[in-house]
Amino acid sequence: MSGLVFKLRNAPADRVNLGGLTPSKLAGLSDLDIERLVIGADGVSVADIFSISGSNGGDTVTIEASSDKLDYAGAGLDAGTVVVDGSVGAYAGTGMTGGRLDIRGNAGAWLASGLAGGLITVKGTAGDFAGAPRSGDKQGMAGGTVVIEGNVGERAGDRMRRGTIITRGTFGPAAGSRMMGGTLWTEQGFGPGPGPLLRRGTLIGPKAEHILATYADCGAHDLVILRIMNRYFAEALGPLAPKPLPANVRRYAGDLASLGKGEIWLTG
Amino acid sequence: MSAGAAKTVNGIAIDDTFAEAFGMSATGLVITADTAKWAMIAAQTMSGFGTSVIGCGAECGIDRELDPSETPDGRPGVRVLMFGFSPDALTPQVKNRVGQCVLTSPGSACYNGLDTKKKMALSSGPRFFGDGWQTAKKLGKRRFWRVPVMDGEFIIEDKCGLTTDAVGGGNLLILGKHRAGLLETTEAAVAAIAKIDDVITPFPGGIVRSGSKVGSKYKGAVASTNDAFSPVLRGAVKSELSADTIAVLEIVIDGLTSKAVADAMRVGLKAIIDTGAAKGVTRVSAGNYGGKLGQHHYHLKDLLA
Repeated sequence: MSGLVFKLRNAPADRVNLGGLTPSKLAGLSDLDIERLVIGADGVSVADIFSISGSNGGDTVTIEASSDKLDYAGAGLDAGTVVVDGSVGAYAGTGMTGGRLDIRGNAGAWLASGLAGGLITVKGTAGDFAGAPRSGDKQGMAGGTVVIEGNVGERAGDRMRRGTIITRGTFGPAAGSRMMGGTLWTEQGFGPGPGPLLRRGTLIGPKAEHILATYADCGAHDLVILRIMNRYFAEALGPLAPKPLPANVRRYAGDLASLGKGEIWLTG
Repeated sequence: MSAGAAKTVNGIAIDDTFAEAFGMSATGLVITADTAKWAMIAAQTMSGFGTSVIGCGAECGIDRELDPSETPDGRPGVRVLMFGFSPDALTPQVKNRVGQCVLTSPGSACYNGLDTKKKMALSSGPRFFGDGWQTAKKLGKRRFWRVPVMDGEFIIEDKCGLTTDAVGGGNLLILGKHRAGLLETTEAAVAAIAKIDDVITPFPGGIVRSGSKVGSKYKGAVASTNDAFSPVLRGAVKSELSADTIAVLEIVIDGLTSKAVADAMRVGLKAIIDTGAAKGVTRVSAGNYGGKLGQHHYHLKDLLA
């Protein structure tokens, strides 16, 4: 667990890109190299806003900071752990392929965009477009797991291909829009209209404010995949796992305005 | 094949000979269902007609029953092992047997049952029964296909493990002077072997009564009766049997590893030695081809532990 600790000294005036602060990207850099890393506009460097302690070469980077201007926390992480002891801005965990990102506050928009592997945990809430593609990207999240303790904003999982986003709270309106695969799982419920133009993938929750007319009620079923998912998530996530699925879920097939091979499972 | 007795143990002569076995390709599958009964029905059905690669395409059998805690879906399960000449020979057997015998069985699901780096296709074939409605769920590194069927969904894992280090053809020949007692003893040996993991005894009830030799007087027949071990031909051919031998039974063993086959032969031999003499077993031998065909040789004297 030993590694570098970056403590915020001065609140950033403009947006800051923390994507370079991961164990593998910092490995081999001298203290001076790290201090001089440019992380913001107008040549703002690490040393301008952070004080640095700890030793380089460990498998953990800790960022003791909380600001919605801190973008791209843990972006590109491939191994090891990044811990943010506070809230972050947009694009946290973008393009991660492995390792673990722990955000002990809130996350902004586009959390886990392009996530392909690894685990992201968020102690607070997440903004809009969690797991969705950034502008110019064709596809959203492609793997990995995100566990959010609080509520999530609009259109989580937009154009998502694989992976799982779990929230102990709610998903906002139109969660799973244009989704192509993967799983969104809420313990509290969906906002209005989950899964517009969803092609494949699974939306799981106890209720939804409003289900689109383009979803077909297939009835209640005791699917074997429920058992597989319960066992998998209990083993893979331990205490972070969502509450086990019940023996039966009500299945809605859709979005029939699109490919229609996805589904909403209502567990309530 | 001719061999003298290396040793006599508990009144049973153990030949100074060896079983000659062959390198094989193999895979393992886990079949689950709502009840242990239906998991077993599916497993038995798919491993039926799987006694010998020569005539059946694959050698198949049940390794063991699985507790719900051991299966991916928490239901009762059965582990089936399948052996073939090569990965290419095994692939269509897996596809056809799973497609015809597991997919069709009520409440069944089919998962990888062999943890190896090499993989082979498991779902290609059966999943297309979904006619486009099949969907996949990738959890960690495993992909599970969900195929809509009339009782819900058939779950089949995308790939299963593959080993090319498996062994086929470990064997014991058990000779006796009472047919019923010989069968009873051989059954006990099969039961002992069943407790060893990673092996199967693919013939009916684990026992072969029609041991074969390579070749035949008839064109097109690749194997024919092992006349040297047929009691009714004693005197008419160059027989391996003494005058008091009334019957011979064989146990054929396939295993995922050479060690598993050796362990299975060892416990089988022990079971025969422990109780066989009182039931008319007189001798134990093993089948080989002079040692030139198979890579694996299991000497009976080495298994007398």
